[in-house]
Amino acid sequence: MPAPTPTPDRTSDAAMSRRSFLRGCAAFGGLTALAASLAPLRELGDFSSSEEFLQKYYKELTPEDMKKVLARIEREVQHQYGIRPHVRDLRPMDGVEFVYALNLTRCIGCRKCVHACVAENNQSRNPEIQYIRVLKMPHGSMDVEKGDHNYTDKSVPEKGFFYMPVQCQQCKNPPCVKVCPVNATWQEKDGITVIDYDWCIGCRYCEAACPYFARRFNFTKPEIPADRLNPNMAYLGNRPRKQGVMEKCHFCIQRTRAGKYPACLEVCPVGARKFGNILDPNSEVSYILREKRVFIQLKEEMGTSPRFFYYFDK
Amino acid sequence: MITAARNYLVFLRRCARIAFVGDWRYYAWMGGLTVIVLLGVNAYAKQLVHGLVVTGMSDEVSWGVYIANFTFLVGVAAAAVMMVIPVYIYDNEELHDLVIFGELLAVAAIIMCLLFVTVDLGRPDRFWHLIPGVGQMNFPRSMLSWDVIVLNGYLLLNVHICGYLLYCRYQKRKPAKWFYIPFVFLAIVWAISIHTVTAFLYVGLGGRPFWNASIVGPRFLASAFTAGPALIILALQVIRRVTASGSATELRGGSDVGEKPGRPATLADLALLARELPEMANVTETDRQRALVGAAVIAVAPGDVLLRQGTKSTYAFFVLQGRVVVKKQEGDLARITRTARPGDQFGEVSALHGTAREATAIAEEPSVILRLPASALNVLLETREMHVVVHTRMTERLMITDRSLLILRGIVQVSMIINVFLLVCEVFKEFYSGTTHGASAKYLFFGLHGHHALVPWIWTAIGFNLIAMVILLLPVSRGLKYLNVACVLSIVGIWIEKGMGLVIPGFIPTPLGAIVDYVPSVNETLVCLGIWAFGLLCYTVFLRMAVPILQGRMTKANEGQPDIQGDEPAAALPAPAAH
Repeated sequence: MPAPTPTPDRTSDAAMSRRSFLRGCAAFGGLTALAASLAPLRELGDFSSSEEFLQKYYKELTPEDMKKVLARIEREVQHQYGIRPHVRDLRPMDGVEFVYALNLTRCIGCRKCVHACVAENNQSRNPEIQYIRVLKMPHGSMDVEKGDHNYTDKSVPEKGFFYMPVQCQQCKNPPCVKVCPVNATWQEKDGITVIDYDWCIGCRYCEAACPYFARRFNFTKPEIPADRLNPNMAYLGNRPRKQGVMEKCHFCIQRTRAGKYPACLEVCPVGARKFGNILDPNSEVSYILREKRVFIQLKEEMGTSPRFFYYFDK
Repeated sequence: MITAARNYLVFLRRCARIAFVGDWRYYAWMGGLTVIVLLGVNAYAKQLVHGLVVTGMSDEVSWGVYIANFTFLVGVAAAAVMMVIPVYIYDNEELHDLVIFGELLAVAAIIMCLLFVTVDLGRPDRFWHLIPGVGQMNFPRSMLSWDVIVLNGYLLLNVHICGYLLYCRYQKRKPAKWFYIPFVFLAIVWAISIHTVTAFLYVGLGGRPFWNASIVGPRFLASAFTAGPALIILALQVIRRVTASGSATELRGGSDVGEKPGRPATLADLALLARELPEMANVTETDRQRALVGAAVIAVAPGDVLLRQGTKSTYAFFVLQGRVVVKKQEGDLARITRTARPGDQFGEVSALHGTAREATAIAEEPSVILRLPASALNVLLETREMHVVVHTRMTERLMITDRSLLILRGIVQVSMIINVFLLVCEVFKEFYSGTTHGASAKYLFFGLHGHHALVPWIWTAIGFNLIAMVILLLPVSRGLKYLNVACVLSIVGIWIEKGMGLVIPGFIPTPLGAIVDYVPSVNETLVCLGIWAFGLLCYTVFLRMAVPILQGRMTKANEGQPDIQGDEPAAALPAPAAH
């Protein structure tokens, strides 16, 4: 087949104008289709303010920057919930390393800690995000796979079972911190692993890395009824989170760094939960770790070295 | 400098323009892909607004088909090296022309990978937090930061290599070895690294025993080197079919003029050639005189055939004026392998080697041709510069031979055996030891506590892989029909095995022993389809640019001419053979 040299009709005006007309139609149709496909973005709303978008990394914020950031958060919370919160940037105290100890002999599996935690830490109610998962375990085993996550017994405890609440273990060697590609989560010197919710990119690698199922992701915009909002907030703690970021137990930073106990401890009806400073030899947790004969770090073989200890009384 | 920049811009503009030109099949294909892309964009816009809740993922299974596809496609990208290694390390001639198709596939695959990780992010607006210097990159501790580096690096390497080689071909310039060979070798190592690093993303997680196995890395490579070349085998056949200039019958027409007497060539003719071929200037007067022995000049009309595939003759030709196209018959189709313009040679391979003609050369315009007997060509080649330019141009062609597909078949064959072997190793370890760490594998292969979501998937994958392996081992797969079946089975099998079979069960049961099934949502699936369509769209556009350049249809020599040559044959193509 001889290759055609440019034939007259191809370059003629009529053909050219027909061509450019078709081209115009195609371009117009394409743009319209693109616009239509992007239409859902109209509901995007307050995805991110420019202030939030350009905000620097937590550790690089000067005290002045931090003041502005806290003011912005207060403004945003007030705008959204109609309540003026008190947001603080609480720093770790010197000479303090927090440790949790949980008495498995006493725990009755009532899940009051789960709900106190949700209320204290402004977790989304719909879908409900919980930091604490209570496992109903048959006597004689520490194999979590034998645990029941969804028990709905009318009364607890049930004979033949013990109950094991699991939350962030505040590891000394946290796998979640190691894997975060943007340093959005790190361990503070009081032992608490925190998340900068304004820096997290939501890749969920930490969630895959955590051996304790302690991390939670905001799969959608968190929903908290305004009258349930806890206005006592901390930047690295319980301030409301945005869609698309990670969160987890932070030992109630807004309370514990101000000298109070975590909410889960205060609500526990049987006193199974103990919390304190391991660096203080006179603290309750120091006493427990010194004197109790059996205590367990969950999945010790992972080498994560949790700051969360389980023990039995008898 | 300014001219160089201008030339490059013209090149880019022509490449961009040709992407919008094609026959109705091209428009239908691109239009269809665009529609799917837009459906994906729409689905992603919804996800952006409502969050990842529109996917099937949960806190329990926190990665799904996005990351599964990402993992598979990193493998496809890495597999481009399986074309590069034979060519650059073992000097394989058959695959030489085709390396670029593999690398372009790698570029398209990496683009898809980057899109898949982006759509998986909860806060894509904060991607800049990853950029070193501006943001915070947790390097070297986080394997994800390694992945960001190696994937982007691999993208740049391949864009550089393809772009440079194509631009040189376009300019008819010999590529400077130092400017691409080091990158080729770097890309080989880099390709292994992208897949190893991606495997390490999983392997590094101590809390997930299913992933925390050292065999995952080798398995990734083996499955990538199976699925990647299999995909290339299929892609090359599609390229071969759609870039055909017409049916093979067109090569039978035309009158043979290659042997017609013509007039004896003179020094003036050689001087004319020297104008188009500067290397001729180095040929001495004496050598020119010697080269005239037996040389003739013939004038030919469009459609005249200068040499015919399969025949034997010892003449070599140079175009003095006009244009000659070299077409090769492959099966029942004919395809342009090279275009000769003033100063270009053709027919030199069989003239020098005394072999049968590999293709048919047809004049496209009224042309004046210098015909040399092999002895005269050898005289010209005594001059080093001529030797270099003639041998360089010898490889400037586009041939997709069955033999090259069979070389790739060999790679798929061996990789598939290794892949299945590694799978057996893993299955043995998981099940024979009987530890609680085997729970994920139990869930995957047989179901756990009444949950069976992945069981049909993995057995389909294993069935496909085994059937593909058997076909590949049998001689029937030397025929393209069975080879294609084996390739499709391998690709689908490995896609499942690596995606649904590796990413998902790693999450089930959770570290606290809960079992939550995962099923991708419709929205999530649409996003995936959109990204695949976009990747195919990119690959098609890359090929649309690369093929005419490799065929010599789009070169600097025809810059500024009204129509981009290389489109006409496709436009005039009779309906493609039904397949």
